[in-house]
Amino acid sequence: MTVEETDELVHKVREALRLVIDPELGDNIIELGLVYYVGVQEGGVASIVMTTTTRGCPATNYLKNGARDGAWAVPGIEFVDVSLTYEPQWTPQMMTPEARTRLGIA
Amino acid sequence: MIGASLSRWTMSYFAAAIVALITALGLMTAGYGYPHAPVDAPPTLIIVHLVAIGWLSLLMCGALFQFVPVLIARPLANEQLPLPALICLLLGLFSLLCGFLWLDGGIDTTLPFFPMAATLLGLGFALVVWGLAHTLLTGRPLPLSARFVAVALAGVALTATLGIIFALVRGGIVAEPHLVDLTVAGVPIHAIAGLGGWLTFAAMGVSYRLLAMFMLAPELDRRGSRLALHLGSCALALAIIGGAVAICLEWSRNLMLLAAGLPGLAALAFYGRDMLHLYRARKRRIIELNARMATFAFASLGLAVMLVIALLALGRLQEQVAAVVFLVAFGWLSGLGLGKLYKIVAFLTWLECYGPVLGKKPTPRVQDLVIEKRAQKWFYLYFIAVWLGTAALLWGRPLVFQTMTLAMLVATLGIVVQLVRIRRLADVKVDDRFPADTRRPALLHAAVQGI
Repeated sequence: MTVEETDELVHKVREALRLVIDPELGDNIIELGLVYYVGVQEGGVASIVMTTTTRGCPATNYLKNGARDGAWAVPGIEFVDVSLTYEPQWTPQMMTPEARTRLGIA
Repeated sequence: MIGASLSRWTMSYFAAAIVALITALGLMTAGYGYPHAPVDAPPTLIIVHLVAIGWLSLLMCGALFQFVPVLIARPLANEQLPLPALICLLLGLFSLLCGFLWLDGGIDTTLPFFPMAATLLGLGFALVVWGLAHTLLTGRPLPLSARFVAVALAGVALTATLGIIFALVRGGIVAEPHLVDLTVAGVPIHAIAGLGGWLTFAAMGVSYRLLAMFMLAPELDRRGSRLALHLGSCALALAIIGGAVAICLEWSRNLMLLAAGLPGLAALAFYGRDMLHLYRARKRRIIELNARMATFAFASLGLAVMLVIALLALGRLQEQVAAVVFLVAFGWLSGLGLGKLYKIVAFLTWLECYGPVLGKKPTPRVQDLVIEKRAQKWFYLYFIAVWLGTAALLWGRPLVFQTMTLAMLVATLGIVVQLVRIRRLADVKVDDRFPADTRRPALLHAAVQGI
């Protein structure tokens, strides 16, 4: 894969992840800054590193599986690896300014 | 697994709890129990246990089976325990109520109701404590909120132990003099253990975490928070263990309770300061109905503390203790419980229905499951009725009190209708309600699918 093709797939995966919303905040995980890293390797292997707004959130597994399914739906993605991390811990400052305004967050 | 999943039987606990609350309010509205009967008369004891075990304890157990895993980010250790625990608790409560009816002459059989209640409630609470304590043990070192819950589990174990002693003595199974003394003089200790040690401590622990989570406020574990935990634990040890020892050794029970009051008061002051800090430091400027209603519950707790101090100063605490218990049970614990129920039912229903299709289909938000404006008026009516009901008890106006319990019943039914609508997804736009591969959640239990 060329660098351009990889970048294109990464962009498509990030767009697909907009379908995954955090149920509590009601915005998608990209805008909320919950996705720390998206990469695509040779053979269409996508790696996603993400977090949740709070450790132990009951939605954790749904969010993780949702990210996997969302990325998998992208043509050209053959395998998805989603890992959770709490380093660094998520803060509302990681949201996009638009999402912060939309959700009325200081 | 990092995190927690959906607790299958939490909705069943909530449903049973709501039935108990509605029954208790219906009986109070009909003039059953206090103030039309003495505080220690069987009709009053029926209502007290319907509220304490049927409503508040089942509500708390259901919530803890869902949220203890959230507090420690570990799954529930024994997922098969909640259902048998619920069955034991319901059968035990039924036996206990029958026992009180039998004492009142309302039942004319010779079934051993009190020993049955002691066995079933003892077993039910033992299963709850075992399941939750076992889960907590996997999450050490425990965060502050979980440490409150650990103390609460000790509180419910002590409450149940005292209750079992009372039931066995009342049922004529046990006649050991110390235990008879404990049954005669230990009711205030039993009430403090239940309302304070078990329910208030659990509510404190859960509120530290849930309020921070829902309002995007920083999680607290500062010196004042730890002081609230340690002073509160010290107060409970003095009141429950010290109080029981004082009765058995014929020391002054009331002096022991008074000594427990000081650290208890300090613990509540530190807790109140922390809650105020959570609201002030929150990142979400506009807060949801559950967090707004929690402020009324905190106000009720503050009012109850001031009422105790004022009645102590006037030397009238003993004769007016029912008003304090009413305010604590319905203003603080039930008010907080109903507010959190409104949030938790929506959150769990969303997870159950839309969680499995996340990433595959567009989904509504949790906020799309509720219409807060419609629910708000019932919460306002509920809290106003509780406060006026407390005043009616203080000023000895039974008819006004009954009118207020009727208002509480109407408000509760109004809130329950909203909860059923949430569970049925009735307020979600029709086009968004059931994306492909989703199904309507059952009303009384959760189907754990696709995780």
